[in-house]
Amino acid sequence: MASITLRDLTKRFDALVAVDRLNLEIQEGELITLLGPSGCGKTTTLRMIGGFESPNEGDIFFGERAVTWLQPELRNIGIVFQNYALFPHMTVRENVAFGLEMRREVGARVRQRVAAILSKVQLVGMESRYPHQLSGGQQQRVALARALVVNPAVLLLDEPLANLDAKLREEMRFYIRHLQREFGITTIYVTHDQAEAMVLADRIALMKDGRLQQLGSAEDIYRRPSNAWVAEFIGLSNLIRGTVAGRRDGALSVRTAAGVFSCAGEDAAGEVVICVRPESLRFGQEHPNRLRGVVRERVFLGNLLDYQIEGPDGLRLRVQADPSRVFAPGTSVDVSFSPADAWVMRAEAR
Amino acid sequence: MDHPVRRPQRNGWALSVVVGLLYVFLLTPIVIVILSAFNAGDYLRFPPQGFSLRWFVRFTESESFVRAFEFSLRLAVYVTLASTVLGTMGALFIVRYARRVRDTLRLLLIAPLQFPAILTGIALLIFFYATGIGTRGMRPLFIGHTLVTIPYVFLTVSTVLVTFDRSLEEAARSLGAGPFRAFWRITLPIIKGGIISGALFAFITSFDQFPISLLLISVGNTTLPIALFDYLRFSFEPTAAAVSTLSVLLSVGIVVVIQRLVGLESIYWGGPR
Amino acid sequence: MNRGRRFPWVVFLIIPIIVFLAIFFLIPYANMVYMSFLVKPETGAYLKVFTLGNYARALGDTFYWKVLRQTFWYSLVTTAVTLVAGYPLAYHIARAPKRWRGLFLIMLISPLLVSIIVRSFGWMILLGKVGIINTLVKRYGGPELPLMYNAFGVVVGLVHIYLPFMALSIAGALQTISPDIERAARSLGATPWRAFWRITWRLSLPGVFAGTLLVFVLAVSSYVIPILLGGNNVLVMPIVIVQMLLDAFNWPLGSALSMVLFGGTVALLWLYVKLMNQALRWTTR
Repeated sequence: MASITLRDLTKRFDALVAVDRLNLEIQEGELITLLGPSGCGKTTTLRMIGGFESPNEGDIFFGERAVTWLQPELRNIGIVFQNYALFPHMTVRENVAFGLEMRREVGARVRQRVAAILSKVQLVGMESRYPHQLSGGQQQRVALARALVVNPAVLLLDEPLANLDAKLREEMRFYIRHLQREFGITTIYVTHDQAEAMVLADRIALMKDGRLQQLGSAEDIYRRPSNAWVAEFIGLSNLIRGTVAGRRDGALSVRTAAGVFSCAGEDAAGEVVICVRPESLRFGQEHPNRLRGVVRERVFLGNLLDYQIEGPDGLRLRVQADPSRVFAPGTSVDVSFSPADAWVMRAEAR
Repeated sequence: MDHPVRRPQRNGWALSVVVGLLYVFLLTPIVIVILSAFNAGDYLRFPPQGFSLRWFVRFTESESFVRAFEFSLRLAVYVTLASTVLGTMGALFIVRYARRVRDTLRLLLIAPLQFPAILTGIALLIFFYATGIGTRGMRPLFIGHTLVTIPYVFLTVSTVLVTFDRSLEEAARSLGAGPFRAFWRITLPIIKGGIISGALFAFITSFDQFPISLLLISVGNTTLPIALFDYLRFSFEPTAAAVSTLSVLLSVGIVVVIQRLVGLESIYWGGPR
Repeated sequence: MNRGRRFPWVVFLIIPIIVFLAIFFLIPYANMVYMSFLVKPETGAYLKVFTLGNYARALGDTFYWKVLRQTFWYSLVTTAVTLVAGYPLAYHIARAPKRWRGLFLIMLISPLLVSIIVRSFGWMILLGKVGIINTLVKRYGGPELPLMYNAFGVVVGLVHIYLPFMALSIAGALQTISPDIERAARSLGATPWRAFWRITWRLSLPGVFAGTLLVFVLAVSSYVIPILLGGNNVLVMPIVIVQMLLDAFNWPLGSALSMVLFGGTVALLWLYVKLMNQALRWTTR
């Protein structure tokens, strides 16, 4: 097992900067997701860590070992691709044994280890099948088994669940998490699906345009997004633009078109954006930050009611509340939120 | 518009008839030759005068034909080896590694097909004499044939390579295989259909090649098509039919193998875009 | 800083083939152009003395102009006939159900893989004075038909050789046209013929274009068919050139004639491309 360090990692494709001076420290045994929209550089980063792309600048370390220019076959990695990349001309057994074969293992030991890993992924009895004879989920697990059987120092997963149907995807998420914890391998998981990232990861590295926007646990990123883009990418959000007016009673005072609000956040000045999650907006006046609005839309979501409220100066707010009280469209309502739920951030993404 | 939309089958039959006649047109000459080979009579008359294998026997007795057949066979084998290796290497490079020069290189590799074979033969003849290589032996023919067969191998191998999933190789690399091992164990087995059909195309093309051979043969080194050609200009015996039949059987056999392996469609239409 | 850049060993994949093509393809052709400007001596094939005399002869002598014209005439006729015959073949294959397509393709392509000599031979048997057709005709009291050693025989032979190329070209283009487009036209009231002419034909023009180009170029350079099926009555440029090289041993003139043939072909093609582009522009108005 090894920790992974990325230092000022940069990759350019002609004029496009795919990865821009990325710095990241991944701890041993950690599962970190690279999350972001397509084109944000997450797959390119993964490929550089795997050795399939060479960076233009920067370094990659596995532990103390610099692997920046090392060929993939010498990095002791395991990789699972989105399309599984199972060797179509080999049986399941031959696929899984391939890595061991490359490491000059032969005979009974190989058979043993293959059998062990196949039972771990619940594919006993499938050894002689060919990939095209397996279902998507089964192919997935063969790909996992093949990557894990060689005990890699680092495990790389490139949107491995993207080709599975929703139900299977959910199952496999937990499954992969469970396997990873059991083996304790340092893992990098690339995905564009935020739900997936939040379920799986110890920490999430959120990327946009080749730059790291935020690194932290799911809760960190959700409750304390570093900028407006992050706030919008993860979960639902209400964004209110404003200017910092000063500090009062330990809270940041922000002047907006809808009023002056008390907010939480690091020291900031000038133009900022306040993020309030829909579930933090309450009907009534119980919290210090108050405003008045008119209900414009109401949607029944089963366990929640989803409202669109129009506040002062045309501000559109989204409120999610429990169904105990119902407000009809057109009703004037009071909405309030606590300073702890009003997170101040920079307006621009990094 | 008032009339009902006619179903395609109605005017489909006219098309089928025309197409049928066209296929008859395409295949008749070849069928005729094969039938004549088994004709017992002396002249190529119709109706056939009985079944016989005597022309095949005559062929085996004809030293010049047998020698030409064997020469063409040997030449085709060497040419196939050379163009398969060169063409495959070229396809690998152009499909995978050449980005900016890709189109130029592709044009270059296909160029021998675009220029009339007879002009190429002329150019080679003049060149070989000017450089002192001369036209003795198999060497000039080998060079000329390889020139015009490489494009076929290049095309068929490119086709399979373009659709080949690179992540298979990357998976192999991640598991510890170096570039050569990954190619040998993973890529090659999967693309071998393309390589083999390219090789077979090359073989047939060399075996049947005429214009280039015409200009580059020398005394004592005749290919089968040239021998047949010389024969046909002055005689009209069914022995030629027997020789032709053997040649046709060879080609048909190869076509069947190609169809089994990769399907003819993929080769012709799947050429690299 | 790009330290540790791995050396592109892969370039050795392409070097052998480039060297081979440069030496045995590019240089010989360049050499042929060079040869066309040299002098033909009394004995020997050529002298390294510059002259424009070969081109003077090639372009000045009416005999060569006549041969050139004839060559192009044969090619044009062949192209036209293969277009008319090839289109139905192409349409049929493109619209054939998947199961049958392979079979039809084999039937279409396999003649290509039989030696041109063999195919010519077959036509000689069919078309000759004592060939099959004439034997049948004479049996039923008809006259002897001159089908070989003339223009007819040559055109038949050329069409036979180049028909698959035309058909495959057009079929390739037709394959990209969904049959739904025709059905849509029909549903809007077009008769089958109009649907074909206004829609399918126009959409398939790129394939027609490519096919006619290909067949014309190939037909211009054909040697075997004119010689075997035309006898001494049909003279096309390739025959004259080969005679010049192998019989008269006049390489400079032979090269010049090759250049003239090549140049003439390119000129005609250029004209054709211009016309076709114009036509394409009209159809996509």
